[in-house]
Amino acid sequence: MNGKVDRQLVDLVNLLTLDTAWCGVVMGDGWVMANTLGVLGIQLPMTDESLTVLKSEPEDRDLLRRIRRGEIDRYADLISRYQRHVIRIVSRRVPADRAEEITHDVFVRAYVGLAKFSGSVSFEHWLAGIAVRTCYDFWRERKREELPVSALTNEHHQWIEQMLATQSENQFYNLVRRREATEVLEWALGQLSPENRAVLTLVHLDGHSVREAAQLLGWSVVNVKVRAHRARQMLRTLLLERKRQEDDTTQ
Amino acid sequence: MTQLNDQNLKKVERALTEAHRLRQEPSLGADLTLRVMRDVRREASGHGQSMITLGLDLFVWRTAAVAAVLALVFTGSVLFYPDQEAVELTALLSNELDVVVPLSE
Repeated sequence: MNGKVDRQLVDLVNLLTLDTAWCGVVMGDGWVMANTLGVLGIQLPMTDESLTVLKSEPEDRDLLRRIRRGEIDRYADLISRYQRHVIRIVSRRVPADRAEEITHDVFVRAYVGLAKFSGSVSFEHWLAGIAVRTCYDFWRERKREELPVSALTNEHHQWIEQMLATQSENQFYNLVRRREATEVLEWALGQLSPENRAVLTLVHLDGHSVREAAQLLGWSVVNVKVRAHRARQMLRTLLLERKRQEDDTTQ
Repeated sequence: MTQLNDQNLKKVERALTEAHRLRQEPSLGADLTLRVMRDVRREASGHGQSMITLGLDLFVWRTAAVAAVLALVFTGSVLFYPDQEAVELTALLSNELDVVVPLSE
């Protein structure tokens, strides 16, 4: 009974502190309080610098004004300005061979949505939201097509074993740079729903706060918080099950 | 075989996080801007229509909001209107209808 209560307590603490869980950022009780206040709708200074720049840069404002007046060709300047920013977001979310196509879609969607851009946040941040949502739509579409998810091979299991055995930081980063690392990550993300995948990538892998992730996805803070917790639990269960199966076959 | 306990799980999670951050960015084709601009111009040719649609959307939603408020006010007034006055109002309306002069006169 006590164990169950303890487990629930641990889950609750995980849920409250999940932003810091993977990033290894050590923060005190103040952060938990700050995040709780955020859930209650009380605005606090944001941690991500890209979101603290609330207003668009003057150059962007000028370009946007000219585009709205009908100088469509000026949109090419915005593309040149932000294509690296968009590809950085997109390439971490979709297969490499689809990244350029999705980047193209992001810029077209951004143009179509320009009438709705109020300027209350920076253009860069607004564009990031479109990029994140376009990648989420990509995975939703893919799920509908029910494409098979690749399985883990012996090489991947060996990589996990080596990772667990590693002691030094150098060895750790050498293993991280190997192809198997990305493949194991892709396998794990492929097991999740598009919603959980999007949240896990933003919160646990990119290191965004729950509130930032909610803004980028256009979802509620509570929804993102619950999904982030569940997605991480699912991933842990997946890794544990896979390891158990592997141990059973080798014995 | 290494057991996958909580500590080891964190190690694998950290490795996956680092792998995510170290992903290679593919180089973009030189014609990306050209292709986007071609599609943007195509969108722009139908831009006038989309602006009208956007304006219509706003108008419909604003009208819907006003209609909803009016419906609430009317429902509230019906619920909280004193019964006696309601009876008098009904009587007044029915009398009005009774005394309507026929068109043939």
